[in-house]
Amino acid sequence: MDPITPLNERVEVVALFRKNLDVSQICLPHKMRYKNQEITFSELGMRHPTSKGKRMIHVFDMSDGVNDYRLEFDAEGLTWTLTAILDGKSL
Amino acid sequence: MYGLNTEKPRIMFIDLNSAFATTEQQAHPHLRGRPMGVTNRISKHCCVIAASYEAKALGIKVGMRLDEAKSICPDFIILETDPPKYHHVYQKICAIMQDYSPNVKMKSIDEGVIDFHGMDDLLKDRSLQDIGYEIKQRVRDEIGCWMRINVGIAPNRFLAKQAASWHKPDGLDTIDHRNLIDYYKSIELTDLTGIAKHFEARLNATGIFTPMQFLEASADHLKRFVFHSVIGEDWHNRLRGHEVDGNPTNKGQVGRQFVLDLRTNSDADILPRFHYLCETTGKKLRYNNFDARGVLVWATFQTGDYWYKRKMFKSSFYTDRDIYSRALYLFNQRPKHLYVTSMGITCYQLTPSARSQYSLFDEVNRQEWLTTAVDEVNERYGTFMIHSLDTLEGKRRVKQKIPFGGTEYFELLLKRA
Repeated sequence: MDPITPLNERVEVVALFRKNLDVSQICLPHKMRYKNQEITFSELGMRHPTSKGKRMIHVFDMSDGVNDYRLEFDAEGLTWTLTAILDGKSL
Repeated sequence: MYGLNTEKPRIMFIDLNSAFATTEQQAHPHLRGRPMGVTNRISKHCCVIAASYEAKALGIKVGMRLDEAKSICPDFIILETDPPKYHHVYQKICAIMQDYSPNVKMKSIDEGVIDFHGMDDLLKDRSLQDIGYEIKQRVRDEIGCWMRINVGIAPNRFLAKQAASWHKPDGLDTIDHRNLIDYYKSIELTDLTGIAKHFEARLNATGIFTPMQFLEASADHLKRFVFHSVIGEDWHNRLRGHEVDGNPTNKGQVGRQFVLDLRTNSDADILPRFHYLCETTGKKLRYNNFDARGVLVWATFQTGDYWYKRKMFKSSFYTDRDIYSRALYLFNQRPKHLYVTSMGITCYQLTPSARSQYSLFDEVNRQEWLTTAVDEVNERYGTFMIHSLDTLEGKRRVKQKIPFGGTEYFELLLKRA
């Protein structure tokens, strides 16, 4: 019933850190490697901060035009984790 | 003729359209333009707590069960709520609103009021309509292109909220003494915020069937025959654009409630959930820096019966252990043969905390230190890192809901998310 598939997989991410942009755009994942596939993101849905205890986590809702992905960046551990995929074709 | 408030409108009401659903559509581009909604816990009988405009256009309403919504639209998509995401949007909207006036009051997580009284010099002849359009654009630029808000401008909070719901979605309307009568002629009684079926019946019983008749009724009539209290006078003023809703209210009680995920009369199933409600109530109490003296517990049963028990205690309390022991003493007096469908606990008679004063009795101090230490550990590593063993099952079952009313527990909620 829920179109979102929860995951908890560490992934390799290429991120861009830009200057002179609004805080919501200043750091953006550009592409990631998942299941030996390179996925290039085309749109940022939303970025929001959250926390796990005192650890700051930045959540990025990204889309590659086919699926939507939820990526979490742990600002303390410096890790990227893919936590959910919304399968665009199933909708 | 009606004694309308002719003051220049200086109250702006901001309302985020279908807040949770629109936020999810913003985060998930594939959901945009589709009938979708959010719920707290996905199940066949779960309730839609927010529906997108596409879903509303098909007749899917907030409060509808998922199976009903699916029967209207088989492609209806439902997601579970994501409080940190909504909190982020809430904070962004707050920040935007506070750029225009220091007098900002959030009424809930998706609506707030900007009071522009005393701001004329800073506005520099800019109209509130101009500012309203600017805020709409900033919401799109700073939160996301899919985000839409309604803006209402009026001389008081009530009319500003009415104006914000006049043309949804993405509207901006002004109501003042010049168009108020025409506005009342265009709506029904139940279109007025605060007038639902119950009050409508009361008004009907005294010959009031339209907003115009409501406006024409005297304050004395409303006070003596309709509302039987000073509320009648408030309505008389509110309808004319005079401010009656701007006063801050004091917190009188804190509590939690839960609709059981199973129908049972077994203590083994009920009490872990009940204990968990007591612990979360204790956290709210301490978060607000209050002590309580009264406890009320209640339950509804499968038979449709409602039961409650309340008691005022001689001494004030705030620790989880004290709250649970008092609440359990009352809760154990419920009719135990009946199957419980929902239950709740409320702490009342709140007073500012006297925790900084040491007790003469060491046992009391030890309890206080333990509570403070547990709260500090939970603050650092996430709420409910340390909790009573028998709340383990309750913690798994009782999901934190979105605080629909006030926003005062949002920070506390996020620590648990």
